[in-house]
Amino acid sequence: MALIECRQLTRTYRRGNEEITPLRDLDLDIESGGFVALMGPSGSGKTTLLNLLAGIDRPTAGTLSVAGKPVHNLPRRALANWRSAHVGYIFQLYNLIPVLTAYENVELPLLLQSLSRSERHDRVATALEAVGIEDRHEHYPRQLSGGQEQRVAIARAIVTEPTILLADEPTGDLDRQSATSVMELLAQLNSEQGRTIVMVTHDPRTTEWADTVLHLEKGRLVEQAVGSERP
Amino acid sequence: MRLLPFEYAVRNLGRSPLRLMLSVGGSVLVVLLVLIAAGFTQGMQQAMRVSGSPDTVMLIGSGSEESIERSEIAMRSAGIVAASVPGLLRRAGIDAVSPEIHLAMPLVTEAGTPGRLAVIRGVAPEAWLVHDDTRLVRGRAPQPGRSELVAGRLAARALGFEPPESILGMTFSLDGEPYEVVGLMEADGGVIEGEFWTALTDLLVTAQRDSLSTVILRMDQAELGDLEAFAATRLDLELAAIAEPEYYAQLSAFYRPVRLLVIVTAILIAIGGITGGLNTMYAAFASRVREIGSLQTLGYSRAAILWSLVQESVLASAIGSLIACAISLVLLDQFVIRFSMGVFGISINATVLSLGLAAGLLLGVIGAVVPAWRCLRRPIPEALRAGE
Repeated sequence: MALIECRQLTRTYRRGNEEITPLRDLDLDIESGGFVALMGPSGSGKTTLLNLLAGIDRPTAGTLSVAGKPVHNLPRRALANWRSAHVGYIFQLYNLIPVLTAYENVELPLLLQSLSRSERHDRVATALEAVGIEDRHEHYPRQLSGGQEQRVAIARAIVTEPTILLADEPTGDLDRQSATSVMELLAQLNSEQGRTIVMVTHDPRTTEWADTVLHLEKGRLVEQAVGSERP
Repeated sequence: MRLLPFEYAVRNLGRSPLRLMLSVGGSVLVVLLVLIAAGFTQGMQQAMRVSGSPDTVMLIGSGSEESIERSEIAMRSAGIVAASVPGLLRRAGIDAVSPEIHLAMPLVTEAGTPGRLAVIRGVAPEAWLVHDDTRLVRGRAPQPGRSELVAGRLAARALGFEPPESILGMTFSLDGEPYEVVGLMEADGGVIEGEFWTALTDLLVTAQRDSLSTVILRMDQAELGDLEAFAATRLDLELAAIAEPEYYAQLSAFYRPVRLLVIVTAILIAIGGITGGLNTMYAAFASRVREIGSLQTLGYSRAAILWSLVQESVLASAIGSLIACAISLVLLDQFVIRFSMGVFGISINATVLSLGLAAGLLLGVIGAVVPAWRCLRRPIPEALRAGE
């Protein structure tokens, strides 16, 4: 059984009198430990799919199961709890909380779990070490470079040891060197820790690190490339 | 429900010092206004409340029950009532029957200036027996024929004498006649504290009067009905008997519209303040919509984020409320307000402070809940795109 199973997944929005369907009848299976890159032109439905997988949006029709658990029909509060336990989300613009230090930002998702202070400390230290930024734990986001901020954001996403790691154009706001570094880190998390990663990207170079590349157009899956070789 | 750390709310306050200043400043103004309105009404009510003794009755000219200053009754009324009504209080051979004149007259401190209006009460020694809550705290009682005054504490402060004791020895001109202040009195915050007392005979001469304003009596076995019957039967004296608490209750009711006006004005300005606070907080929260979306993505519930935003707003308003309370205690407590029947002090007591703090906290909650909810109800994907 696949880790993520989408069946006839559809999302429709209403904008005034107009009905927009960025995702239509999508069937998709993503295996545990996979690194999937979602590509496609603007409006193709890739971010909508990512939002549905993250549980921050709900499908209009169809079903979505993660690790065998249907999440498409969870109530709002239950969905929030599910997100905190199973989803790590990496944003294009990092979305760190500016008034919290790197350490506190990474600790933030752990406050939603029943952990002692020392357990939280150990987990945050491990996550910061995994992304190579342990020496900056007392820095505020404004004191970090873009690449460093994204590393802190990745640490925040992995600190809860989520079932799936979702990334929305994680290198979209970074220079080439930082982008390569971040992609190497994601690939490392995938290959060494077995994390399942789904990444939206516009940049074909970043797909080199993925093992599956999905192309979406007008809300439908048009192409699937499997087994790309990592750099 | 798992909450965001309290530090998040505290540190968010420092994100925009200007916005923080506006929030705190707005709270200071609104809470100060609430404190002034509440202190004003409390002070006025307190003065009226402590001014009536249940066993004290006032004989006033019939038709002048609302205003003792307009009342005129015959000089002989005091002697007649003392002789006619049995059961009045008697101490050391003296009947507790106090003939009095109440006048509002300008007290002139310097020649050529218009002077400041003050309530002057001409009294006989029996007054101290009738008004047993009134006591001399400094100096002595005025003696007939010497043009002397005893000042109430608030009356002294109303003329700018701080501390009130500094009024002792001062000479004022009353209708061209020099009067020296020889004593200072207290009356548990009642209206008498806002008055000047002088000898009845001296005031009769100065004011060129041959009538009294009132006769005030204390009952022992006698009852109000006895005095009402006396007033009803002695038609020649044209008297009305009224219990002192009832007189002050009527006076208090007379000023109710003034208190209502003060309260309504305070509420209207407070609503204006809350509206301003809503705008400030909405601007503060709207600039963080993406951050709010990120927190929801991490798994924080709307309620947890709302609670944190309310904490932030309440913290700012609590700072403002405490500053307002401190200002009111230092500058407003016992600030003297003049009105037609004398003066009273704004009363910033525990009740008023609690009301001010409650208003401040309410301002913080209302100021946050509405704008926070507007930001929180946006779908998370839309919130995450904010500012792009």
